[in-house]
Amino acid sequence: MTPIWPTRMDHDTVTYWNVLREGKLVLCRCKQCQTWIHPPRACCPSCWSDDIGHESPSGRATLFSYLVQPTAPNQPPEVIGWAELAEQKELFVVATVEGMPLDNVQIGAPLTLGFREQGDTNLPVFFAGDGK
Amino acid sequence: MTGGGANKVAIVGIGSSTLSRDAGRSVGALALDAVRNAIIDSGVPRDKIDGVSGIYSTDQPTVWPGYVVESLGLKNIVWSNCASPPSANTVTEGILAVAAGACDYAVCYHAKFRWDIVSGAARKDPLRRAPRSTFDPAMTMPLVEPLGVPNGMFSAMQRHAHEFGTTREHLGMIVVNNRTWALQNEAAAFRDVPLSMEDYLAAPQIAPLMSALDMDMPIDGAMAVVITTAERASDLPNRPAIVEASSNGLTGGTDFFFRAFDSYAAYRVLLDRLWSRSGLSINDMDVVNIYDGFSSLALEWIEAAFDVRGEAGGFLEDSWDAEANKLSFFGRIPMSTHGGNLGEGRVQGLGHVLEAVRQLRGTADSRQIDDAKLALVVNGNNPVNAGMILRAG
Repeated sequence: MTPIWPTRMDHDTVTYWNVLREGKLVLCRCKQCQTWIHPPRACCPSCWSDDIGHESPSGRATLFSYLVQPTAPNQPPEVIGWAELAEQKELFVVATVEGMPLDNVQIGAPLTLGFREQGDTNLPVFFAGDGK
Repeated sequence: MTGGGANKVAIVGIGSSTLSRDAGRSVGALALDAVRNAIIDSGVPRDKIDGVSGIYSTDQPTVWPGYVVESLGLKNIVWSNCASPPSANTVTEGILAVAAGACDYAVCYHAKFRWDIVSGAARKDPLRRAPRSTFDPAMTMPLVEPLGVPNGMFSAMQRHAHEFGTTREHLGMIVVNNRTWALQNEAAAFRDVPLSMEDYLAAPQIAPLMSALDMDMPIDGAMAVVITTAERASDLPNRPAIVEASSNGLTGGTDFFFRAFDSYAAYRVLLDRLWSRSGLSINDMDVVNIYDGFSSLALEWIEAAFDVRGEAGGFLEDSWDAEANKLSFFGRIPMSTHGGNLGEGRVQGLGHVLEAVRQLRGTADSRQIDDAKLALVVNGNNPVNAGMILRAG
C-alpha cells in the first residue's frame, strides 16, 4: 500500500504541503529580515520575528552532497540530494535528483527544481543542469 | 565547572552489565545490573544514594529512573533526571546536580537493548519487541519520509570525501584501532574477533565510504557511574576521577536530515567550553575517548579536538602505527582504549566515560597507559553533543 504524504502536518508545515499539492514549492521566509527558513518554523532564527511568509525560491541550486538510496524491491535505487538553493548559504532542500547516472553523481553540479507526482501530491525533484 | 560556589565533583563508582548480542535478560535487568555494580564499586551505602539520572534516547526505548528506583529499593531519591541525547548527558546532568548540591550521591545510567527496530535478527524473537511510539522531536520527519529517511550523517561523509579527499583507509584506521583495543578488553562484545586493515577494506561499502564495520552494532548492555563531591570522595575506597570540565554543545535538532553538514558549530561550542573552563588543551591529555557511533563521527571529532579541520586524513596517517594496528596522536595519545562503541559495544558513549575512569584509577589492565593523569571524553555528533575532561584525583 502506498503511504499518503505527508504522514503528519502541523500549523508550521500545512502551507508547504498544501502548495506542493498544486505543483509549487514555497519555503518560509522572514518578512522582516528576508532570511529563508527551511524546514518550516514559526519564528525567524535570525531576528526572532513572528512575521513569516511563504515564497517560491528561484529553483536554482547546486548539489551539496547526496546518497544513493534504495527504493522498492526490484526497483533501481535513486539519488537523494542535499540541494543548496541559490538564495542562501546552507539553505537545503532534500529531494530526489534526476538526470545523473548513479555512478557519476557530481557534487557541486547545478540543479534545477521540478516536481514529481507521488500519490495524490507532488514532491520536489531536482534535475541535473541549469535548466537552460 | 559551574562557577563560583559550586562543589568540585568526582566520579567514584563505575559499573556495567555484560555486553553481548543476547544477554538473555531484559533491558530493565541490564540497567539494574549496571546501577547495582556502580553503587557497589563506589562503596556508597545504598541508602545514601539520593540522585538518579538516565537518558531516553531517540532511537530506542529504555527504562526511566522511576523503574530503577523502585526496582532497587532506593528510598531516599531527592533528585532525578531523564535527559535528551547524547547519552553522556546522563553523566553531565549528574555532575551538575552534585555540583549544585541538589543531591550528594548521584547514580547515572544508560541501558541499550537489541530491539526488533534496530536488528533484523531480533524480529523473530518475541522477547525483543520494542514498545511502539512516534518520536520526532525536531518535527521534520514528514519532509524526508517519502525519500526513505536519508541519513544526513552519511551525506556529510560524502561531502567530506569530496572536499578534503578523505578515503576508506582513513576511516579504517579509526575502526581497526578500536577493534584492536577491544581484543585487550575481556568485557568487549568484539573481544575475540580481530579485524585487520585488509579485512576492513574488503568489507562491502553500504554507505558513502562506510561498511557495516563503520557502524556500531546493536547489543544488550548497560553502564552506570556514581558521582559525588571531591570532598566526599576522599572517604571512599576508589581513586576518584575529578571532573575538570563538563559541558554540552547544542546547535540543532536531533534530526540528521537537514543540518548534518559539518559546520562544526556544536563541536566548537563544546570544546571551546571544555578548554576554557579547565585551562587545559589537547596537548595536556593522556588519553582521548572519542565517540564512534559511526566512524565518520569519530573522524569529525578528531578534526575538532585536535584542531585539524579538513585535515583528518593526513593527521590519521601521521598517527597510524601499522604494526600495532593502533592510532597514537602526537606519538603518545591513544584513542578509546576500551574499543569504543565499534569494539566494546554500543552503550552509546558511556563506555568512553567508564574507560577514562579506569585509566585514571590505573585499573585498565593490559590497556593501562603509563601515568595517565588527564582524559578527554566526547560524545554525540555535530548538532547534539556532550563531553568532559577528567583528572586522576
